[in-house]
Amino acid sequence: MSDKHGEEDKKAKMHLKANDLLCVNGCGFYGTPQWENRCSKCWRAHQNEMKKCQDFAKNRSLLSFDQFQERRKSTTESKSRGIKNLFKTSPIPEGGTSSPTSTSPASTPTRHSRRRELSPDSLEARQQFTDFLVANLSTGMAQEIARSVKNAVNKISEMRMSSDDMSELVMSYYQYLGERIGGHSLFDSPDCKVKVEDVMDQVEKYISTFCYSIFFCANHEEEVADMSLQDRIRSLHWVTAGFLETKMVFKKQTVRDKIDEAISELIEINAKRSAFEKLDCLTKSCKAIFEALKESEASTSADEFLPTLIYVLFRGNPPLIQSNVKFISRFAIPARLMSGEAAYFFTNLSCALEFARNMNHESLQMEKSEFEAYTSGHLAPPLSVINSACNQAIYVLEGTIETITNVAKKAGSLAKNLTNMHGKSDDDLEKMLAVIKETVDFYPTDEYMNMKQSIFAEEKETADILVSLSRQSSESGRGTLTDTQPSTPQPDTSLESPLIAEIQAINLTSSGNQEHVEEA
Amino acid sequence: MAARNAGTARPGGPNRTCQFKLVLLGESAVGKSSLVLRFVKGQFHEYQESTIGAAFLTQTVCLDDATIKFEIWDTAGQERYHSLAPMYYRGAQAAIVVYDITNQESFQKAKNWVKELQRQASPNIVMALAGNKADVANKRTVEYEEANAYAEDNALLFMETSAKTSMNVNDIFMAIAKKLPIGPAQGEPTGTVDMNQPQQQQKGSCCK
Repeated sequence: MSDKHGEEDKKAKMHLKANDLLCVNGCGFYGTPQWENRCSKCWRAHQNEMKKCQDFAKNRSLLSFDQFQERRKSTTESKSRGIKNLFKTSPIPEGGTSSPTSTSPASTPTRHSRRRELSPDSLEARQQFTDFLVANLSTGMAQEIARSVKNAVNKISEMRMSSDDMSELVMSYYQYLGERIGGHSLFDSPDCKVKVEDVMDQVEKYISTFCYSIFFCANHEEEVADMSLQDRIRSLHWVTAGFLETKMVFKKQTVRDKIDEAISELIEINAKRSAFEKLDCLTKSCKAIFEALKESEASTSADEFLPTLIYVLFRGNPPLIQSNVKFISRFAIPARLMSGEAAYFFTNLSCALEFARNMNHESLQMEKSEFEAYTSGHLAPPLSVINSACNQAIYVLEGTIETITNVAKKAGSLAKNLTNMHGKSDDDLEKMLAVIKETVDFYPTDEYMNMKQSIFAEEKETADILVSLSRQSSESGRGTLTDTQPSTPQPDTSLESPLIAEIQAINLTSSGNQEHVEEA
Repeated sequence: MAARNAGTARPGGPNRTCQFKLVLLGESAVGKSSLVLRFVKGQFHEYQESTIGAAFLTQTVCLDDATIKFEIWDTAGQERYHSLAPMYYRGAQAAIVVYDITNQESFQKAKNWVKELQRQASPNIVMALAGNKADVANKRTVEYEEANAYAEDNALLFMETSAKTSMNVNDIFMAIAKKLPIGPAQGEPTGTVDMNQPQQQQKGSCCK
């Protein structure tokens, strides 16, 4: 950059063009050397951009993952007795039949004095916790654990300390409680349905839900750091699946659906309170990614999985994700993060975040200036490059167009088939009628003959009635007509004409006429 | 330290179950996940698999005196994710570094992985080197002797494998299982295992 600057200066001494005075951004205004040849507006925008980058760099140390990973590791080793004593209540009696009177007297008043409004989540957690203990453990044991945990929660809410110290404290409490109930003979007996780990799961859930406001994102600086990470990811919006070299087939609706599912599960993490549930969301998200990979007929190995997770992270930009990751690593039972599926996915998420933090032009194998231009929004990734974001949109469009064309084609052929069908059915009907007529004519049955005769007889009868009817009416009609309108031409004496007249009369005139007909 | 997390072992009972974390390293497209799929599912083509995802799998093997549950963590092999690898192999008790015998560069990468593990992973991690794609030996660019000598120098288990024909796939995992410290109880340092085991394992592992 500075080299270029120097060159321009030299050029300016020798020969100054009007163009050289313009803002380097090409906005048409004049630039000033103090503002790196930008106009005032572009300079301000540039400064804002720089500030954002600096903020991110400043907060980067806060975002660092290694620090507390290390710390967590050390806490899980062994703990000072002093911290343990904080949580100590009376020991669990071996028989598992403790009397409730053994409650340490100090804990009861504390509990009452610190009664606070409980959120629905907390209430639910408490209910679940109590139900679990009552259903699976002996009364004495359940009371003992409940008392110990509630005591711990009260102590935690009284304490004011940094998140890392708090994490240390909670970790040592988990270890302490785990050891204490683990040594109990109850869990070795065959009729015990639950394991120590199950109890610890519930304890963790209870504590992390109850103390969520204390545990989560308690430090203002961390929140700020989280925001700047979110800004950072937002500025990397142009990093699309192509740049990360994933093999997603975005043409497929199913793939897109699965990716959307993964994104919403990743966002959902922030809505859950306990580490257990947060990890559950993460697991669901990762499984959706695997399904998307399968739909794309790509391998589901880590070579494909990690880039896709990074892509999902960039697309979703989940709120407070960094704080959530920190929360999980601070307050989840350590075993949860050491082994198992959830641990693997958690490691991957941590890696994806680490990648987002440290991503630079080298990780995408491009020029630094290019990377910066894309990030600041001065340049859009070229359309021609296979990696471009637009290509993805185009793929989607192409897919849609393909679907529409298919649908249209199908509709066309369907309409054609329908017309053919109509024609054919008409033909068939005619043919069938002809065949029936022929058959009946050739092989008339007795019934048919009888029917024919009866129809014939009926027809004749009707005709006779009509004839007599017409005669009557014509006579009466003539009587009235002759009085009023003598000039009216005489109606025909033929059979039809009076009939028509009669019918008209029936239609037009009153019921008297109808009665007349009926009488006839 | 390695044995700390093999913690699910239930002492008592003649046949204990120990859980171990095994991490797969190696350049992309050398067949890391094919190897695991062959081991876990007994099949070669990934799209046939019924489980969700090949990045994380578990498989149990039985030894004479213990049951070993492998938890296999796959890692992304692309160069750009190299710096993230420590997060994966942190706390792993075993590692398989995979290279492609038809690709000299992947062997160089594998050597780098071994070096990194020796420097940064937990000190008694059990390491194995797998030369995959042994079924296309006619296109070989990495000689067996060369890799074997390297493995011996670095006290690694070494086998040439083929996920396609399943050659040596189970064997390499079994060899690792035998070498893992099935300690008497959790939390006890088992540094002595590494001192005694390598010689006797090396013989068994060099099957052709």
